[in-house]
Formats: sequence, C-alpha cells, structure tokens
Amino acid sequence: MKKLTATLLAGTMAVSLLAGCGSTAAPADTAPAADASAETTADAPAAEAETSGNPSNVLRLCLASEPDHLDPALNSSVDGACLASNSFVGLYTSAEDGSIVPALADGEPEVSEDGLTYTVTMKDGLKWSDGTELTAKDFEYSWKRAADPKTASDYGYLFDLFARNGDELDVTASEDGKTITWNLTAPCPYMMSLLAFPVFMPVPQFAVEAAPDWETNPGAWAMEAGFVSNGAFTLKEWNHDESMVYVKNPNFYDADNVKLEELHFMLSADDTAILAAYNAGDLDYIDSVPNDEISTLKEQPDFKVAENLGTYYVAFNVNSKLFDGKTPEQANAMRLAFNYLIDRDYIVENIGQTNQQPATSYIPAGMSDGNGGEFKANDADYTFPVEDGYYALDTSIDEAVALLKEAGYEFDENNMLSDATPLSITYLTNDGSGHVAIAQAIQQDLATVGIQMDIQQEDWQTFLNDRKNGNFDVAREGWLADYDDPINMLEMFASNSGNNDPQFGVNPTSAAPDWSKYDELITKIKAETDLVAREKMMHEAEDMLMATGAVVPIYYYNDLYMQKTNVDGIYATIFGTKYFMYAEVK
Amino acid sequence: MLKYVLKRIGLAIVSLFIICAITFFAMNAIPGGPFNGEKAKTEAVLEVLNARYNLDKPVPVQFYYYMRNLLHGDMGVSLTTGRDIKTTIFESFGISAKLGIRAVIVALIFGIIFGSIAALMRNKLPDRLIVFFSTLATAMPSFVLGSWLLLIFCLKLKWVPVFSVQEQNIVLPVIALSLYPMAYITRLTKTSMLDVLGQDYIRTARAKGVPALKVIFKHALRNSLIPVITYVGPMTAGILTGSLVIEKIFTIGGLGSKFVDCITKRDYTMIMGTTIFLATLMVIMNLICDILYKIVDPRIKFE
Repeated sequence: MKKLTATLLAGTMAVSLLAGCGSTAAPADTAPAADASAETTADAPAAEAETSGNPSNVLRLCLASEPDHLDPALNSSVDGACLASNSFVGLYTSAEDGSIVPALADGEPEVSEDGLTYTVTMKDGLKWSDGTELTAKDFEYSWKRAADPKTASDYGYLFDLFARNGDELDVTASEDGKTITWNLTAPCPYMMSLLAFPVFMPVPQFAVEAAPDWETNPGAWAMEAGFVSNGAFTLKEWNHDESMVYVKNPNFYDADNVKLEELHFMLSADDTAILAAYNAGDLDYIDSVPNDEISTLKEQPDFKVAENLGTYYVAFNVNSKLFDGKTPEQANAMRLAFNYLIDRDYIVENIGQTNQQPATSYIPAGMSDGNGGEFKANDADYTFPVEDGYYALDTSIDEAVALLKEAGYEFDENNMLSDATPLSITYLTNDGSGHVAIAQAIQQDLATVGIQMDIQQEDWQTFLNDRKNGNFDVAREGWLADYDDPINMLEMFASNSGNNDPQFGVNPTSAAPDWSKYDELITKIKAETDLVAREKMMHEAEDMLMATGAVVPIYYYNDLYMQKTNVDGIYATIFGTKYFMYAEVK
Repeated sequence: MLKYVLKRIGLAIVSLFIICAITFFAMNAIPGGPFNGEKAKTEAVLEVLNARYNLDKPVPVQFYYYMRNLLHGDMGVSLTTGRDIKTTIFESFGISAKLGIRAVIVALIFGIIFGSIAALMRNKLPDRLIVFFSTLATAMPSFVLGSWLLLIFCLKLKWVPVFSVQEQNIVLPVIALSLYPMAYITRLTKTSMLDVLGQDYIRTARAKGVPALKVIFKHALRNSLIPVITYVGPMTAGILTGSLVIEKIFTIGGLGSKFVDCITKRDYTMIMGTTIFLATLMVIMNLICDILYKIVDPRIKFE
C-alpha cells in the first residue's frame, strides 16, 4: 500500500519533472496555439460552418480553463482579463474599433498642461450590481488597494507612475463622489490604455472587506459565484473546472445596449474537447483549436484571426558559456548571425499557420509610439536600418557567415563551419507541440552552416525557473503587451527587471554588452516629459537591444478564434481581451 | 480483530506522516515555485507573498508549520487561487466520487458476471468473446476511449451534448471510467474461478450432489473473489479520486485533474492536500479490503 502510494507520487512528480505541460493561463503563451495535450487529438471531423440551434439571448463560449482570479485587481491572465472586462468596467473601455471611449467617466479626462494631473467626472446614477451607489470614492479605494503590495497584484506596478503621498497613491475622490483626481510623476502617453485595463477597474469595498481573512487573502470575496460587480454581467453560477453562468446586470451603466441575457462558459483547456463541443453546436465561440486542425479549419468562414500586440522571439543568455573568450562585439556578431539564418516565413506558414506577420523588429507592428504615430514606421524622427526593421526577412547565409567569421569562426568553401571551430548550442523550450516545432525549424536552419543545436524541453515551471536564472544558451520567449506603448516591452530588459531573462547587466561576463547605458535610458524614458524626445529614446533603446542580437524576433502574435456565423458583435482588442456584452445571437 | 484494526490504524498514521514528509521535501526540491509566471512579479509583491505563506523560511521550518496547521485541521489555501484547500478537495472529490461510485458498481457487477461466464463456459463462444473484448478494453488507453465516446455519442449520434450548463453528462464518463477495471475484474475473476473450480472441495460438493448453481455461487465464486478484492480496494480509491484524462475530455471538475495541475503549478498546499487525501483514502480502502478477506474467507487469520 505504502509502496503503491509512493509509486504514484513519485510517478506524478517524475512526470512533472520530465514532461509536464505549459500553463495555459500564461499570458504570452498564447501562440503557437496548441500547448495542451496534443496526443488526445480525436478524429473530430471539420464540420461545416453551421450555425447553432441556440436560444438567441444566450452566448455559449470557451476561453480557457478555470481562471485563477476573478478579482480584476488580481487577474494576470488574458482569459481572466476577458472575464474581468465583461463583469467589471472602469472609467474607460475599449470600443469595437480599438479606441478608448468613456464608460463610467462622463467624457474625456481633464489633463493639466504638464500632463501630470488628471481629473475625471463620473456619470450620474452609477450603481453596483446589487444596487449600491458607485462613486469616485470606489475608484480611489480600488486603485489604492491594487497598488498596495499587500494586495499582491501582479499588475500593481502599473501604478508606479502615480505620484505618492507618503506610502499612499496620490488619488483623491471629491467629497460628493463625482470626480476623481490623480497626479503622475511623469506624463504618461498610454494613460487612456491603462484606464481600460482590468487592474484599474473598481471593486466594491463593502464586499471585499466582508470576506473572511480579506487582509491576507485579498481575492476571497470573488471566489464563488454571486459577488457584486459593476460590468455588463454578474456571475450567477460557478461549477469549478466545469462551467460558469453569467447573467445580465440590470444596473450596468449601458444595460440598454446589452442584448444577451446569459453567458455560459465552458471551463476547459482541452482543445479537442472544446472543438468537439463547438462542432456539436454546444458552443458559439471558442478561443483555441488543436494545432493540427488549423490547416483544415482555416478555410471555414467561422475561423477568424485577430491581431495581437506581442512578439514571439528567441533570447540569448548574454552570460552564456557560449561566448567565453569573445569580445562583446564578437558575441554580438555571433548572435546577430541568427537573424540571417532563421527562416521566419517557414515558421509562420507551417507552424504558426494563422498568417502571423514575420518579425523584423522586437517592438511589434501596430504599437503606437506614444506620440500619435506607429512605432514601427519610418518618420521624420527615425528611420529603421532596413525598410521598417533591423534586417531583411530573406535568409542570407553569406551575411550569417560573414558575421560568424567576425566572431572568430572558420568556414570551409561550402560555407560550412570548419571542424576547427565548432559551434554547438542548447535551445531551451517548454513542452508544447508548437514551441518544439519552432525549435526544430530553427535547428534545421542553423544546420545549413553547420551549427549544432540541441533542443532541451522542460516542464513549464522548471523552464520558467531556468530561463529566469539564466540557465540556458538560447530560450524561446514571448511577450504580449499589457498596454499600447513600447516602454512595456523595453523596460523588461533593464538589468533590475524580473523579466530580464537574457541577463543583461546581471554579473556580466567579459563578453556581455555594457548595459548601464540601457538602464539609464529606460529611467530617462520613464521620466521624460517631451513626447518627441521620449519616442526618440525608445528607438535608441530598441536599437541598443537589437544591436546585441540577444533578442531574435520571430513573428508578431495574432489570436485565432472560431465564432458561429449567426453570432455578431463580439470584438477583441490587440491585447487579446474579448468583449461579449454587445454580442447578438441571431 | 479489534486489536488488529487498531494496529493497522497506528501503522497508517505513521505511513501518512512519512508520505507527508517525503512529498513536502520532494516538491520543494523540484525547480520552480508557485509564484513564477511568464511575466515576473515585482520584488515587493514576491516578498509579501513569500512571507504570507511562510515560503521565506527554511523548508524544515515550513514543514513544521504545515504539520502544525494540519493537526489543527487547517490545510491552508491554494497558492494559485487563494481558495480553501479542504473545501476544494471535498467539493471536487464529491464530483469525482459521484461518477466513481457508479463506475465501480458497473465494473464490479459486469466484471464478476462476465468473468464467471467466461470461466464456466471456457473455450466456448461467450468465453472467446469476453476474452476478446476484455483484452481490447484493457489495452485501450482512456484518452482514446474517451475521445471515441465523445465522437460517437456527442458528435455523430448527438444523443448527449459535449457541453451544457443545464445537464451534466454522466453516462459517457462512467462508461469510460468503468471499462478498464471491468475488463480487469473479468480477467481476474475468470482466472481465479478456473483455479477454484479445479479444487477438491468443489469436486466434493459436486459429488455430494449439491445443485450446480449453489456450487458456483456459494463455493466457487466466493473463494475466487479474493484476488478481485485485493484489486478492488486500490482501484476504488483510484476511481473515486477521478481520472485526469476523463475529466479533461468530459470537462468534469473532479479531483483527478487537480493531482497533476497542482504539481504543474507548484501549488504546494494543494499538492500536500491532494496527497494526504489520496494516501488516507488508500489506507482506508486497504484496511476495508483486509477485513473483507476475513468475511469472504474465514480461513484467513489476522495476526
């Protein structure tokens, strides 16, 4: 008996050590699509794009498995952001065209000339779902709560740009609860984008602090169905790991325009089961399909792709043993060679499969420059080295070989690495058919000049741990932007950042680039008041980053979903948040 | 008997403690932690979380705190969701058990019947058929079976929905859960029944002119169930606690998927909770089995 239990335990742990699987809730882990159980793929036939025989006021959908948190301040996943955005609403929200429009706010904010003080007037007669009055004071409470480290919100750091009074956030609601005013330490071009973000949504103090142990367990109030919210829908039923039923909130500020009565969520991460439910007509909207079904499904009219603001990339550990004995310039050249060897078109066409845009820069296409334009576009102030990127998309063995020669590698007449200077690297990835397939494609590309690449697969947590601690040569990476500004994706490479996986400036070896300038630049960008200068510095930062070659962009994320043809009015933002409140089932 | 049971319970507590210790130290030895994510948490947040859940202390100290709380009946809250561990385990166990009990009953009834038929009609057509299907069912992995059931009954025949918040789909998961143990019990019963049928006392009973049915039910079947009982104990514990694969395919919020998910997420409190729960259940089931031996076969003596 003991033996059996012990074997079971050892077995489970061994499985997790050796195999395991990627977390589906991980925000930037959205593509390639099928991380989950590829082997359970059934022979579910690609059904005709039929409409569902569904009562017209109910939308049935599947986004992901059980969410960790429904408290908008505590959420950190993309599917959780969708749930938050449909059951809570902040001062502003995203419209179908992607613009930020007033929700609880009555019109645009009043911004002081220096861009540091914001004042927002609220609409009249706002209510929580239980009928309690909702005022600016709720926002003051919620923001201070979200910014407090004791709340342990993953996105609490978004309040870092707020001024503080001592330990407290400098946010004040007026006595009558009509207006809310806050001060920033530097102008923030993406403030509006933040105001629509879940962590800026209000939570009801009376409910939050009525939950047992709320001080040590801040999300306790929203762990079962029936909690008070203020968005289009409230959660009526929650069968954990099975389903959720949201019902229309009559006290939603825009309830007149909400046609749906109920949302039924299937809570599953099993792509095969999800697709089966969709094909059987039991679901109207699904957010993932098995990877190997994409090629058949993508011809159907109900297969859709939405652009996302994020980049799938490969990162080098700049402190890796790989660069021992090289100068920083040689190490840069070595890494840059990869840009010319990797066939991004092949990866997108055969592995990504949803027409992702191959990447020629780290900051994705479509991201704004914080000054009214697009960052990845040539303008009066900045011109990219090659068209609108850092290199041409066509692979070029000659360029790669030239760079590697610069780094001290020798080649024979066929452009193959000579035996005298072999190069072998290890590529770290988590399990997940898509990630591994990309690794294999890169392996093939590198082999064309004789670079030997081994693929090391690890379970999700071990992978995160090794990547974070720099126990790798090259690792797969991905980042889905949280808000529409390049600083979101640039500041993560500052040497003190928790996301600085390439280990820039962390106990640098003699081959690692000098990173103090980059750190300085990030600090300056964050404090800069002139938006033109700010944009310029962000380009400078990306230039520095790309010059190291430590970040090898592969493609820009997009997001596939399937939606029955009789369903209308669902829209998604570039951050992957989907809004269902204005949907209609015909 | 009572003395034996008490001794067994004492031993069980010791083994549970050892299991707790091994699991606790093993899970802390696996790389990663509950607060890692694709996007890193800030230092300030990590500090708060580690202090809140005692993760900033040395592992033996953490173990001491955990065991102390456990003895007070406090299994803590999930490090990923903040939800109470005890509530989560009992709720999801309720769901798994609802399906599991049905599956165990189906497996036992049909397994014993088919096994007996196969033994009694050895080498005839029913035996051949039963052997064929039980071999098939033992060989088929549950994800294949589950996917097949889904494909046939939900997609082709449309008898039951794949997903519906109104009516929970019970029949298919019960079939999927019971098929393997049913086939296994069939084979066990058959082998052991054949063995018993060849024993002297059966021949004696027959020679005495005991009616054939009585020989089978009273003398043969009863004795041939001993290996079945040995298997049924751990099997029941296994089925009642749910199956990862079946729960994923049929979207059931049972305990089965939690065993694996919590390890993937390094949700330490949940790992401990599910382990202790499963271990306790195993211990109880084994104890019940031992007592059942005695009832089925009075020759067995507890020492």
